[in-house]
Amino acid sequence: MAQTITFLLVDDDIDDTFLFREVLNDVAPHIHLRTAANGQEAIETLNTLHTEGSPLPDLIFLDLNMPRMDGKQCLGLLKESQVLHQIPVIMYTTSSHSRDIEETMQKGAISFITKPSHVSDLKAILGSLAANVRHNLRPTLRTLSETQNTFIVC
Amino acid sequence: MILIVDDRPENLFSLKTLLQLHRFEVDTAASGEEALRKILRHDYALIILDVQMPGMDGYEVAENITGYSKSRDIPILFLSAVNIDKRFITRGYESGGVDYITKPFDPELLLLKVKTFYRLSEQQKALNEAHATLEQKVAERTAELVRTNEALEASNAELQQYAYLASHDLQEPLRKIMTFSSLVAERFLSDRPEAGTYVKRIIASSERMRNLINDLLEYSRISGNTQFMPTDLNQLLQEALSDLEVAIREKEVQVHSSNLPTADVIPGQIRQLFQNLLSNAIKFTRLGVRPQIEVRGEKVSSLSLDAQPAAGGNYLRLSVTDNGIGFNEAYLQKIFVLFQRLNGREEYAGTGLGLAIVKKIVDRHHGLVGARSREGEGACFIVVLPLQQQSPPAISR
Repeated sequence: MAQTITFLLVDDDIDDTFLFREVLNDVAPHIHLRTAANGQEAIETLNTLHTEGSPLPDLIFLDLNMPRMDGKQCLGLLKESQVLHQIPVIMYTTSSHSRDIEETMQKGAISFITKPSHVSDLKAILGSLAANVRHNLRPTLRTLSETQNTFIVC
Repeated sequence: MILIVDDRPENLFSLKTLLQLHRFEVDTAASGEEALRKILRHDYALIILDVQMPGMDGYEVAENITGYSKSRDIPILFLSAVNIDKRFITRGYESGGVDYITKPFDPELLLLKVKTFYRLSEQQKALNEAHATLEQKVAERTAELVRTNEALEASNAELQQYAYLASHDLQEPLRKIMTFSSLVAERFLSDRPEAGTYVKRIIASSERMRNLINDLLEYSRISGNTQFMPTDLNQLLQEALSDLEVAIREKEVQVHSSNLPTADVIPGQIRQLFQNLLSNAIKFTRLGVRPQIEVRGEKVSSLSLDAQPAAGGNYLRLSVTDNGIGFNEAYLQKIFVLFQRLNGREEYAGTGLGLAIVKKIVDRHHGLVGARSREGEGACFIVVLPLQQQSPPAISR
C-alpha cells in the first residue's frame, strides 16, 4: 500500500486554515493535512518528525505574513537545511506583489499562489496538486497557471 | 563721502574746501597707496584722482580700484594739469575713469559734474543693495520652497504607503466574505435556487469592491519610486493582450498592431496603460458589429496630440482605436477623472478608475493623453510619450 500523502500548511489565519482543510477534504480526502501557525512552529514540527524518523510532508504551503517567523525567513531556513531542503514549497499568501514573488521564487519556492476568493478555484488548485504530488509537480503548476493565471506563478 | 587723491597738499586743500562748502563729506589721500588703503576700509561715493603722482600714478590706482569687487562701481574723476593730451585722456577712460578734467577747471562745472556722478553713484549703490536684498529673498524663498517640497514629498509617500496598506487590509475581509459565501452556496444552496441567487449577489458585489480596491491600489502605486528603463513596447503590448486573451476570444475581437519602438518607460505601468486602454476598447463594443481594435505607434517631432510624424522624432505617439460605442467629446474632460463613468454600471462593468490610472501613468512619464470620438462611431485614445526620460535609465530589460 502506498504511503499516506501529507501536506503541511503554515498559516496563522484560522479561516484560511479551515477553508484549506475543508476543500482538501472534499477533493482529496486521502491526503493528511498538518498545520503550523507560523514559521517557527513549522520548523520545529519538521525537525521533530525527522528526529522521530517519521515521514516528512510531501508538500509545504507557506504563508508570507506570520507572527514570530514569517514565510520568507522560514523558506530561507528550509532551503538551508540538509534534510528539509528537498521538500517542495509553494507560497500561499494574500500577496500578489511582484517583489514577493521574485524573492521567494529566487529563494527556492516552486510556485507562488495568491489565495483565491472562490472555493471553486481553491478546489481546482488543490485537486490538481493532490493528483500529481508524488510526480513532478512543475507540469501541473504550469497547466494550472494557464487556466488560473491570476493566481499562480511558476 | 568723496575721496580726493592728490600728492600736493594745496590742491587737496582747495578742492576739499570747495566741496565741503557744498556740503559734501570729503576724505583725502596724499598718494595712490594711501588711497587704495582707504578705499578698502571705507565706502566712497566718488573718487577724484590726480593723474601725476610720485610712486603709483592715477591710472594704476584706477586700475586697482576697478579690480576690486568692493570698489568696482565707484565712479572715478581724473583731474590733471600736466597730462592734457588726448592720449592721456583716452588712457584715463580706459583705466576706468568716468570723466577726465583738465586744469585749470571751472569750479562751478566741476561741482556740477561731481553732483551728477555722486547722485549716479548713490543710485547705483541703492540699486546694488536692492539687488542683493532681492537675491537674498529669492534664496530664502527657494530654501523655503525646497523645505515645503520635501515635507510634501514625505507626506505624499506616507499617504501612498497608507493607501497601499489600507487597500491590502481591506482586501482580506473581502476575500473571506467571497470564499465563505461561495462555500455556503456550494455546500448548502444547490437545491435552493432563491437563496443561491442572493449569495451570488453578495459575491458579485464583493467582486466589484475587490476590483475597486485593486484599481485604487494600482492608482496609489503609480507615483511610487520606480525607474524608467529602455523597453520594447511590443513586448508590453503582447503581455497586455495575453492578459486579456479570454475576453478577446469571447467577444471575437480582431486586434491589429503596428511595430512599436523601444522607449524609456516604467514597464509595469505601460503594460497597465495598454491593458486599460485595450480593455476599454473590448468593453465598449457595439451590438452587431464585429469589434476591431487597432494599436499604432509612430515617432513624432513634438509633445502634442497632433504632431507631425517624424522618423527622427523624440516622441512616440501611441493610439488605440476601436469601432465601439464611442462617446460624446463634450465629456472628454471628464473621462480621465477618478470615478467618472459615462455609462451605467448595469450595461458596462468597471470601476471608473481605468482612464484615471492611464492619465496618472502618462503624467508620470511626462507625456500627454487625449481622445477623439463620436457617439456610435468608435473611439481613438492617443498617448504621446517622450522616447527618452531624464533620469538615468537602469539596466535594459
